[in-house]
Amino acid sequence: MSLAAWVRRARTPAPAPVKREYAFFEPADLFDLDIKDDPEASPVLCCTGDPAGASAFNALWLKRIATSGRYAAAVSVRGQGNTPAAEGGLEARAHDLVQAAVNVPRQAVLIGHKEGAAWAALAAGRYPAAALVLVSPEKVPKQPPTPVGGPPVLIVVAESETQSKEAQTAADAYGITPLTFAGSRDDVFKGAGAEGLLDAILSWLASKKD
Amino acid sequence: MQEYSSQAAYDRGEAVCVIGAGASGLIAVKNLRENGFEVDCYERDTVLGGLWNPQNQHSPLYPNTHLVTSRSQTEIPDFPMPDDWPDYPSASQMLTYLTAYAKHFGLSEHIWYGSEISAIEPVEGSRFEVVVKPAAGNAARRLRYAAVIVATGHHWSPNLPSYPGLDQFRGSVLHSSQLKDPSRLRGKHVLVIGGGNSGADIACEAAVNAASCVHSVRRGSWHLPKYLGGEPADYALARLGSRPKFLRRFLTDRLLKGPASLAARMGVAAEGRPSAEEPVRNGRYMEHVGDGSIQRRGEVARFDGFDVSFADGAEMRPDLVVLATGYRPKFTSVEPRLLGIEGDSPYPKLYARMFSPRMETLAVAGLVEPGVGVLPIVHWQTHAIAHWLLVRKSDPERAANFRVQVRSESEQDTARPAGSSPRHQLAVDAEVYLASLGRIIDTLEQEPAK
Repeated sequence: MSLAAWVRRARTPAPAPVKREYAFFEPADLFDLDIKDDPEASPVLCCTGDPAGASAFNALWLKRIATSGRYAAAVSVRGQGNTPAAEGGLEARAHDLVQAAVNVPRQAVLIGHKEGAAWAALAAGRYPAAALVLVSPEKVPKQPPTPVGGPPVLIVVAESETQSKEAQTAADAYGITPLTFAGSRDDVFKGAGAEGLLDAILSWLASKKD
Repeated sequence: MQEYSSQAAYDRGEAVCVIGAGASGLIAVKNLRENGFEVDCYERDTVLGGLWNPQNQHSPLYPNTHLVTSRSQTEIPDFPMPDDWPDYPSASQMLTYLTAYAKHFGLSEHIWYGSEISAIEPVEGSRFEVVVKPAAGNAARRLRYAAVIVATGHHWSPNLPSYPGLDQFRGSVLHSSQLKDPSRLRGKHVLVIGGGNSGADIACEAAVNAASCVHSVRRGSWHLPKYLGGEPADYALARLGSRPKFLRRFLTDRLLKGPASLAARMGVAAEGRPSAEEPVRNGRYMEHVGDGSIQRRGEVARFDGFDVSFADGAEMRPDLVVLATGYRPKFTSVEPRLLGIEGDSPYPKLYARMFSPRMETLAVAGLVEPGVGVLPIVHWQTHAIAHWLLVRKSDPERAANFRVQVRSESEQDTARPAGSSPRHQLAVDAEVYLASLGRIIDTLEQEPAK
C-alpha cells in the first residue's frame, strides 16, 4: 500500500459497518490427539463469491485446513450468508475481508474463491497477508494493488478455464503461472476434486513456510 | 567499567535495536521484521503499549482519556481498528488494539521487558554498542547492532512550571499524569493549569465531579469540537484536502465558522489563523464554559499559603491544583549531540523529523505532533526507515543521493516559522509532512538503476 493510496482511503467515507458472519475451526476442535496446533503455521481466512458465504467452507475446507494444524476461518462479506446486505461495492467487500483478517489471532493467509479472489486481492493491498491464494479468480482488477509485505501469491484455476480471460488477467497481473486442478470451478467445496485442490494449496503453503 | 559482566560486546550482526515498546516501537518492530530485519526491542517497563498502558509507571493517562483524533485517522494503515468501535476510542480500547497488533504480528517474542538502555555508543563507523541494564539486579550487557531506532516517545517526562511560592503551597498539587482516579476531584475546589488537550479534558472532568473548577490558561488557543458537519472533525477537515484548491479555503472557513464564533463568544479564541498550531479537540469544554461549571482565568501569578493569585489580580483558594502542563521530550540513553540537540532546547533537530543528522543508522520514530493521528505517521516513518536501511546496505551510491534529498527536505521544513509556544516545537503540518514522507518513500522504493 502506498502512502498516497492510504491518504486517499482515509479521506473517503468508510463503508457502513455490518455484523459479519465469521466461521472458524481450530485444530483443537477436531478432538483428535494426533493433530497438534502448529504455532508456526499461519492461520487461513477464506472467502468466496458464492452467495452461501462462510458456510460454504463448513462442508470440507475448515476441518481439512485445521487438520494441517492451522487455525481456519471463513467470512461472509456484506450480502452473503448471514451477513446483512449493506451498501458498497468491491471496496466495501474488501473492507469486510480486512476487518475479518485483523480479527484472526495471527497474520493470516487470504484465500479468495471466484469473486472472493478480487476482494482478497484488494484486501492484500492494505493488509500484510502471510500469503495470498486466488482460486478461479473472477473480476480481479487488471492492475491490483501491490500486496503489502510482499507475500507469496498462488493462483489456482480449474482445467476447463486455463484459457479463460479472467484467469489470464489475474495471472498476468501477478506475473505468475497458475496451478491447475481437475474438476469444475463450481465444485471446489466438496468431492474428490475439492480435496485434491485443497491439498495442493496446503502443500504449497507448507512449502512457503507460512 | 567494573559493573559490566564482560567487556566484550555480543555482536548481533545486522540486527536492529528498537528502544521502547509503545505504539511507535511496536510499529517499528513490525515494519522492520516485514523487511527482513532481525529486531531486538527493549522496553524499560514490564508491559507493552507505552503511554496507553495504565500499568506503565510513566503512563500519562488521566481519568477518562480518549483519543482526540478519530478512529479512521488514527488507526495503523495496515491494521485497521474494528469498524464497530466508536469514532473516538478510549485509552483502554487503544491498549486492546495495540496488544492485538503485537499478538497478530508476533511481536512479543522480540521484546525484552524490564530492560533499560543505559547508553548507546557509536562504534566501528556506523554500528552501535548498546548497554542494556535489566531492571532486576543483573549486570548490564553490551550488544552490538547495525542500527538503532529510538521510539521512546515524548509523553513521559512531565513539564513542571515554576511559580513563585508553589513549593510552599499548602493545598495539593498534582501533574495531570498523577491524577489517576477521578474521585480525587470529587467535592474539591479545583484549579486546572494548562490550556492543551489534557487541560481541557481534565477541566471537563472537574466540571462534573468537583465542587468548582477554575481553568487557568496563559493564552487563547484554537478549539475544535470533536464533530463538524455531522462527521468526526479531523476527517471532515482532511476530506477538504481532496477538493479543488480554490474551494478549499472557502469550505474550511464555512465548516469552522460555527465553532469559531462560539469560541469568540466564550473568549477562548486564539489570535491568528487557526491552522497555525495543533487545536484543542474537545466537544464538551465550551458547554461547560457556557454553563459556568468551568471558569476561565488568565495566568497564575503566584501561590501564597492556601491562596492562588492570578495575573489580573483575582484570588482563589483551591483544594487541588492540577498541572496539565504537558511533557518535555527526554532522551536518557542517546547522546544529545547525535540527535542534533544543541544549547538549552530539549528539542532535537532531525532530518525529516526522523533521521539523526550525525549517524546514518540512528533514527527516531514518532517524535512529531502532526495534529492528526500519530500512528499512521509513525507507520510511514518506520516504513521509510526500514527501506533506508535496506538501500544503505545494498546500494551505497543511491544512499548518498538519498541523504542529500533528505537534507533538502528538512531545510524546507525548518524554513517554516515554528509554532508560537515551546510546546509546538514538535508540531508539523500533517499535509506537508506526509507529502515529504511520500517523496522520501518513493525515492527509497525506486528500482535501482542498472
